[in-house]
Amino acid sequence: MEAEEVNTSNAQNAAVAPDAPPVPGPADALDPRAGDRLVAATVRRGGPWPAVLAVAAVAGAVCELVLPFAAGLTIDGFVTAAPGRLTWLGVCAALVTGVVVCEAAAVWARGATGAHASAWLRRTLVRSILGAGDAMRARFAEGDLVTRAGLNAEETGRAPESLVGALALAVPTVGGLVALTLIDPLLTIALVAGIALVLLVLRAFMRAGTAIAAGYQDAQGRIATALLDALSGVRTIAAAGTEQRETARVLAPLPALRACGMDLWRVTASAGAKAGVLVPVVEVAVLAAGGLRMAAGELTVGELYAAARYAVLGLALSTVLGYAGGLARARSAAGRVAGVLAVPPVRHGDRTLPPGPGTVEFHGVTAPGLDVGDLVIDGGSTTAVVGRSGAGKSLLAALAGRLTDPERGTVTLDGVPLADLSRAELRHAVGFAFARPVLVGGTVAEAIGLGAAESATRAAARAACADEFIRRLPQGYATPVTEAPLSGGERQRIGLARAFAQANRLLVLDDATSSLDTVTERRVSEALAGGTAARTRLIVAHRPGTAARADDVIWLEDGRVRARGTHRELWADPAYRAVFQRHSPPAETPRTAVPEAVT
Amino acid sequence: MTPVRLLRDVLLRNPRRLAEIAGWSVLETAPAFLVGFAVARAIDDGFAAGRPGTGLAWLALLGAAWVVAAVGARQVVLAVARIAEPLRDELLAHVVTGALRRASGAFQAPAAVGSAAVARANLQVELARDAFAAVVTVVRGFAFTLVSVTLGMLTLLPQVALLVLPPFAAGLALFLISLPALARRQRAFLLADERTAEELAGLAGGLRDIAACGAQDRIAVHAEGRVEEQSAAARALARVTAARTAALAVGGWLPVVLVLAGTPWLLANGAAAGVIVGALAYVTQSLAPALNGLVEGVAVSGVRLAVSLDRILRSAPPAVPVAAEEPDGHAVELRAATFAYGPHAEPVVDRMDLLIPEGDHLAVVGPSGAGKSTLTALIAGMLRPDAGAVLIGGVAAHRAARPGRVLIPQEAYVFRGPLLENFAYLADAGRARVERAVAELGAEPLVARCGGYGGEVDPGALPAGQRQLIALVRAYLSPARLVILDEATCHLDPAAEERAERAFAARGGTLIVVAHRLSSALRARRVLLMDGGRTWLGTHAELVRAAPPYADLVGHWEPEYA
Repeated sequence: MEAEEVNTSNAQNAAVAPDAPPVPGPADALDPRAGDRLVAATVRRGGPWPAVLAVAAVAGAVCELVLPFAAGLTIDGFVTAAPGRLTWLGVCAALVTGVVVCEAAAVWARGATGAHASAWLRRTLVRSILGAGDAMRARFAEGDLVTRAGLNAEETGRAPESLVGALALAVPTVGGLVALTLIDPLLTIALVAGIALVLLVLRAFMRAGTAIAAGYQDAQGRIATALLDALSGVRTIAAAGTEQRETARVLAPLPALRACGMDLWRVTASAGAKAGVLVPVVEVAVLAAGGLRMAAGELTVGELYAAARYAVLGLALSTVLGYAGGLARARSAAGRVAGVLAVPPVRHGDRTLPPGPGTVEFHGVTAPGLDVGDLVIDGGSTTAVVGRSGAGKSLLAALAGRLTDPERGTVTLDGVPLADLSRAELRHAVGFAFARPVLVGGTVAEAIGLGAAESATRAAARAACADEFIRRLPQGYATPVTEAPLSGGERQRIGLARAFAQANRLLVLDDATSSLDTVTERRVSEALAGGTAARTRLIVAHRPGTAARADDVIWLEDGRVRARGTHRELWADPAYRAVFQRHSPPAETPRTAVPEAVT
Repeated sequence: MTPVRLLRDVLLRNPRRLAEIAGWSVLETAPAFLVGFAVARAIDDGFAAGRPGTGLAWLALLGAAWVVAAVGARQVVLAVARIAEPLRDELLAHVVTGALRRASGAFQAPAAVGSAAVARANLQVELARDAFAAVVTVVRGFAFTLVSVTLGMLTLLPQVALLVLPPFAAGLALFLISLPALARRQRAFLLADERTAEELAGLAGGLRDIAACGAQDRIAVHAEGRVEEQSAAARALARVTAARTAALAVGGWLPVVLVLAGTPWLLANGAAAGVIVGALAYVTQSLAPALNGLVEGVAVSGVRLAVSLDRILRSAPPAVPVAAEEPDGHAVELRAATFAYGPHAEPVVDRMDLLIPEGDHLAVVGPSGAGKSTLTALIAGMLRPDAGAVLIGGVAAHRAARPGRVLIPQEAYVFRGPLLENFAYLADAGRARVERAVAELGAEPLVARCGGYGGEVDPGALPAGQRQLIALVRAYLSPARLVILDEATCHLDPAAEERAERAFAARGGTLIVVAHRLSSALRARRVLLMDGGRTWLGTHAELVRAAPPYADLVGHWEPEYA
């Protein structure tokens, strides 16, 4: 079933490619400016904080810029006992106060800006992701989506901070260079040369670092893969008592990891030392040049002090690379976030269902890789969908309950197009159970009932033959889903119970009993048949027994309905029988992705 | 092991490394000692005294000190790395051991042990390594700078130290006082961040199911709650971080104002103008950056380190002592054995009595969830009964030495490596024996597919049936006299399954098969039926007569394969 899903989404992308507007690649949004607009929106949504940050950062930078000048005058004032010396001392104290207050305000505002911005982005993302549902899964891999909503939202939230930082940096660097030029243009030349050297060193580091980092990550990856392999075979290992040997096997790439790690440290250390020595050396050079002019009587001690400080302030320009990098990261992150927001949400109508038996009708329905045409599934019947892997069974099931919308045509339930139903009405009417259900909700009870009454939850669990093992879980129904030791079959039965608790007209089982042994499956089928609500059941089946018990069978082949009839009628066709022989017996969920066995 | 103890061990394990760090640190902080003094001398004895040569000489000395310092700084980084890298290795080993131990302890590993959990653990290790290196670097840098600057100021003019050190100490004290609150906020922020990431991962992974259940609003409200919590934690952290600047103001900026204000006093005590500039250089060039680094490093990296180490160290349950009692034979006996997955859970195996003599061939059947795998895990010694006893040759199963029995579960374990190594995992078997086993089990096509015995096996690329075949050959080669196949042949076709089971029956010793198909039960000498807490034991014919659920089972069992 997993394999089918993959095929479907691939087919979707391929089908869209030739004529439709290009599907955005995983790295960018439809519109390259969408990211920038998002950054702008983020700044606007930050409330007063971005403004506070800008004012504090710039004011602080100005204070810091004026300080060396005032300090120089203070020193000269005291040395020569000039009249204004106490006033300048006062100015210095005021400037230091200003620097400190602005710094505190900026730190606070920086944190608050980022927090507000990323929270707003994440809330928007959560709604957008949930609203688009399956379409989102077709476009982005799960891990990619998590990165975009997590890390990328955070990076985008830092855009205002980087912008303001770059802006505020202009004050000391431009000011420092101007002041230095006023004192002596030669000093400025020495300074600019120093800055250029720092930037060159940092660039060289980034290049060398990237190559070594790749080797490091490769060794890390090998360890992680070996660990996952070992975890998937943990019962064998535990039974054989070979944990220590496995630990050694998993950790075999450690020496390679350490070698790369030390290389990385070496590169970092060299770059750090080179960049670190440049700043003081440039300052010493400025002091020397200034000192010579002082000896010539053209510079006072205070001015010499100021010149040295301005050199340091001007050298702050070497941090511009950091801000530029931050801004570039924020912009590309914003592009990735915007790509998620660009996926349109699923629209729901506001109609409700009239009373009816749960008849499903397909009218001229096509979907990528599947052409159903017209098809009626009688209300109250049990219909099995069979076909080889990749025939489109899961897609048909998804269309019947509007997990996916068709490209063309409509699907109706008791005469009402599914797209016209309100979301609540639709989900109340249709329940899905899957081969590998993902259990949402904190506890097992919540995962089944999603807030329904306890009695209803338990009744559904009993119908799915799940009540017995749930009561054996560490905390029974209150066991957190993440801590419940569940086998594949048990997980499936909780997923079945969830569908039972929900659906009152149509129940779609997409290979949802594949991990159950035949006896349990039989019991579940009996519960299905004798269920209280008159439900229509659509069952994607791999076993002939399941198809045999159905009222009707839809046989899919290569995305089309090859035949329809009862299992008994179809069984006469050798091609039909071959469909079942190709399938492997039920599998407990392996933890690593394994292609379906063909034995 | 506590984080504190681990760090102490790591630091003190190799005193030479510490001496190395200290030595290079002295070089690295040479300018911190020299900067003010050299600037003062350059001005007062050189440029201001009309001797520019002397001034330039002092500045050249200072420049040379900076170059030496850069060499020192480089060596310090490498020396710290030589402590940090082994720490990383140790933490990774901890993560791997912990994951394996936890998973084997849980027997049916909770879904949480997946690739995401492994990635998170890896990230924690990297964060811990970087944070450790950062903390060691800044704390050491601070200490050496403080000593160097103090010595420098005393050399320059002791009165300077009087103006600078008291406010500096006050700033440091302020920081230390605010540290616990700061650490709390930082920790709260990191934890909220992790919770948000987990929430988002759950949301992304469950999209299909959330849509199918119409649970969007419910999930959105929950996720937004997490996002809001994290945002609140970030804002709270920003507030205390802003308050932290007070420490920098007092420790880094107040000395500047005091030196300027104290200039007349310093001049009266014999200082010239250069001494004032030198004193300011000490503060702005060395002391303030060192304090800044300390505040930043300890408050952020220190907390990060504590949180990560706590996570990593807590992830590994204590080691279980190795089972090593030599059993007397391999008869299996259960005496009123009871097992439940939790104190409030209903028992899966309830006061079960069972005797499997040596050489028996037993099939275990029953609906899924009846406790068949739990029973095999008890016999294999992976689980311990809550009450009663499970004995192998008279020894408690979890204490009995492992090589005497082998359990092959449904999910076959195949690791990346040569095929031969995979076969010989449990035995020291020569090539000839391996070839015989491969022939017995009909695994020749598998060997060909893998490119011979030396071929590298990629577990992800092998179909489940082929993986099971590898596990079966491995079990066949093992010296074990008790073989437990827990649906170990479910991915094989019926003919291959029969061949494998017959090979194991002919191999000798005790064989327990958790049956996936009726045919497995028919081949066994005896059948154990488990159903809803009740058990029946007997031959196939006996059970058909005496156990109604068995007759029902046989009637319905796999019509498609019959």
